[in-house]
Amino acid sequence: MSDLAAGKDELRDTDLSDAELSARLAKTWGTARGIIGALSTVDHKIIGRRYIFTAIFFLFLGGLAAIVMRLQLARPENQLIGPDLYNQIFTMHGTTMMFLFGVPIGEAFAVYLVPLMVGTRNIAFPRLNAYSYYVYLAGGLMVWFAFMLNTGPDAGWFSYVPLSGPENAPGKRVDFWAQMITFTEVSGLAVAVQVIVTVFKQRAPGMTLDRIPLFVWAELINAFIIVFSLPAVVTASAMLMMDRLVGTHFFNPAEGGDALLYQHLFWFFGHPEVYIIFIPATGWVSAIVVTFSRRQAFGYLPLVLSMISVGFLSFGLWVHHMFTTGLPQLGASFFTASSMLIAIPNGIQIFCWIATLWDGRPVFRTPLLFVIGFFFIFVLGGLSGIMLASVPLDTQVHDTYFVVAHFHYVLIGGNVFPLLGAVYYWFPKFTGRMMSERLGKWNFWLAFVGFNLAFFPMHITGLMGMPRRVYTYQPEMGWSTYNLLSTIGALVLFVSFVVFLYNMIASARRGPLAGDNPWDAGTLEWATASPPPPQNFNRIPFVINREPLWAEREKLPVATGLAVEKRELVVTTISEARADLRESSPEPSIWPLLAAIATTIAFVGSIFTPWAVVWGGLLVAFTLVGWFWPKNNKEDEA
Amino acid sequence: MRALWLFPLAVLLLTACEREKREFRPPQMSGETDEEITLSSISAGSSPPTQRTSGKGQEYEDNAYHISQGQKLYHWFNCNGCHANGGGDSGPALMDDRWIYGGSIENIVQTIREGRPNGMPSFRGKIPDDQIWEIAAYVRSMGRYTPKTASPGRRDAMSPGPAEQRRPPAEMHQGGMIPPSAQMPQ
Ligand code: HEM
Ligand SMILES: [Cu+2]
Repeated sequence: MSDLAAGKDELRDTDLSDAELSARLAKTWGTARGIIGALSTVDHKIIGRRYIFTAIFFLFLGGLAAIVMRLQLARPENQLIGPDLYNQIFTMHGTTMMFLFGVPIGEAFAVYLVPLMVGTRNIAFPRLNAYSYYVYLAGGLMVWFAFMLNTGPDAGWFSYVPLSGPENAPGKRVDFWAQMITFTEVSGLAVAVQVIVTVFKQRAPGMTLDRIPLFVWAELINAFIIVFSLPAVVTASAMLMMDRLVGTHFFNPAEGGDALLYQHLFWFFGHPEVYIIFIPATGWVSAIVVTFSRRQAFGYLPLVLSMISVGFLSFGLWVHHMFTTGLPQLGASFFTASSMLIAIPNGIQIFCWIATLWDGRPVFRTPLLFVIGFFFIFVLGGLSGIMLASVPLDTQVHDTYFVVAHFHYVLIGGNVFPLLGAVYYWFPKFTGRMMSERLGKWNFWLAFVGFNLAFFPMHITGLMGMPRRVYTYQPEMGWSTYNLLSTIGALVLFVSFVVFLYNMIASARRGPLAGDNPWDAGTLEWATASPPPPQNFNRIPFVINREPLWAEREKLPVATGLAVEKRELVVTTISEARADLRESSPEPSIWPLLAAIATTIAFVGSIFTPWAVVWGGLLVAFTLVGWFWPKNNKEDEA
Repeated sequence: MRALWLFPLAVLLLTACEREKREFRPPQMSGETDEEITLSSISAGSSPPTQRTSGKGQEYEDNAYHISQGQKLYHWFNCNGCHANGGGDSGPALMDDRWIYGGSIENIVQTIREGRPNGMPSFRGKIPDDQIWEIAAYVRSMGRYTPKTASPGRRDAMSPGPAEQRRPPAEMHQGGMIPPSAQMPQ
């Protein structure tokens, strides 16, 4: 045990018995009752839960859109939905999956789990956290409301100019898309900053860099990718908005603009984006593999280094999305090489996980099943990715269903399967109850079979020349059987999600109680109650091992000396994690919600008039003044 | 809370639907719409001249898609050859507030379909009816007689001036001048 600081007259955690301490801390860190309390909360677990729930909600909405598309494509010359609605639906599907599910789901898990895993009491900048959630929610609802009013964006999830430009995309549809990007951007960057600061400065004492859980590493690297890539897309979407709304000429070649510039800006974000979707999943996979193979990760260092190098490399391959735009040969060759290069760190990760399982004593519970499914599907997607990285092949199959097959193998394999595993794995921590194993097995096998049945045939239809983003096709093309198979597969996949939903709801109500650590896992989130109390830990853990709970089975060493009556947490040094300061953590506040509403008014208004930026900016400034108004307490003066 | 969402919903509902409808496959061989309109407000008797319109005009000029299709067709059928980008050349200006043959969308449809003296050719049988309506809707957007949210943004071309969407809404005056260039040589 170590004593953090000698207090003067404050009540410290050293002064109280365990039960008393727990009750008092829960009061200090708790969320007030009632609607105002719920809306002002800054508890990372409550906000994280909302985040996860919302992201999965959007996953389901996007999935429903996919089912409608698949039903339309089931037969040739089907008349279920016309071309206009199909355009909107594939755009809504892609946009929802990438921006409203893919990016937020990784961050959502970070919001909930990172503070627990690094052994602190709240995330850094908790009010910003609340704000970011509200902004994200508003952006998602905005674009779906617009869709319900027949104003859904219809130029694809990357909205290329000139198709999405003022001349060819009349009305406000694409403006809603562009503004949805801004919402996602603001919330995504906010969370990324919180995660970075939490991991760098709020780790429990003793959690040196080489004791950080792999999941936390993944979220940290992910946050950095977000910080460096999202600004590119907001630049692109803001320029697009300006071209459309006030007649600038960024993308107008006739006036010296450049349409290809849009693609460069978009994919400079867009490629890292797929790693923003994938890297958190590597964190989930690492956590699950380690826990269920009952040994520490094989190759911790190579795993971390390969995540970091994936992070770096992901910024050097964006042009492989643009091979058919008429690049110089040398440029194309460079990006072919860099695209193939990234297979190396990804391969290292896969081998490390397999080695961990191989050398451990794996227990095949549902979370691990999903991880095995992930190996299979993701590797297949990686293989078609290597194929696409070669220019001659890509020139052939660009914009065909081969590409659709490829990216669903990497996205669903690389994110959704690990996600399902992660939900099964952490559900007991979130709710205190276990999910049903039996339904879990059904869920897995339906998803696995359904997925492959839905997407494998798309490789073939793609090679046969079926273009993506077409609402129907002629019977003479010979694509009908494969498309019917795909639709059947999609329906099976859909059923697996219904099972998943049912399992979650039923288990949350009647599942067997989980206890603190049902899987006998080693990381810190399992050291506290399920669901965790508002303060997370009664006393801050002191970390002496990478898997603290495996090293100290009896009683975790703790660091003491924090105040009890006010929100206080430990700030540690970046690499050694030596206890450095006691720092206060903000109280709940309603202002983040008000600021988010003001931001929403500004963003939505600017779809209709550029003046909304000015007036909305003032409104936001006003709410920020309220947010940061000094409260005259000791901490503010310091 | 829930009521809060209804408000923007209602606002959007009022503005969105008409503006965003897209008709990718208009009937190929639609007949001619038959509007009964006059060119002037003068009539014999005390009541104004009787007019009957089909309502198609409203549908077209509130619709962003139709207007923007009209913008393309305006150039594809070489309207700009005589009227330039609306400022007028050998043909009269279309973006000003003067209308020799009436400025309602029905009038403009008639003008395109029938042709007018002093050089405006007739496009009857050359442009499908729906497309004539689209072009007329676009012409109306040049002087911003159409809603701002439905009017086109800039084109991917050299810009002669602010896009239709950014022009102030105009008033309408009947009459107007035949440009000297369009008059018979004396
Ligand atoms: C429920 C399972 C899913 C099914 C059945 C499905 C099916 C489809 C279909 C049919 C298309 C349209 C192809 C076209 O018309 O060109 C599509 C496009 C797309 N999907 Fe999915 N999908 C599913 C899940 C996902 C997930 C989980 C993601 C990402 C995390 C995703 C990302 C995308 C993207 C980015 C596009 C491209 C949209 C565009 O062309 O703009 N999909 N999907
Ligand atoms: Cu890429």
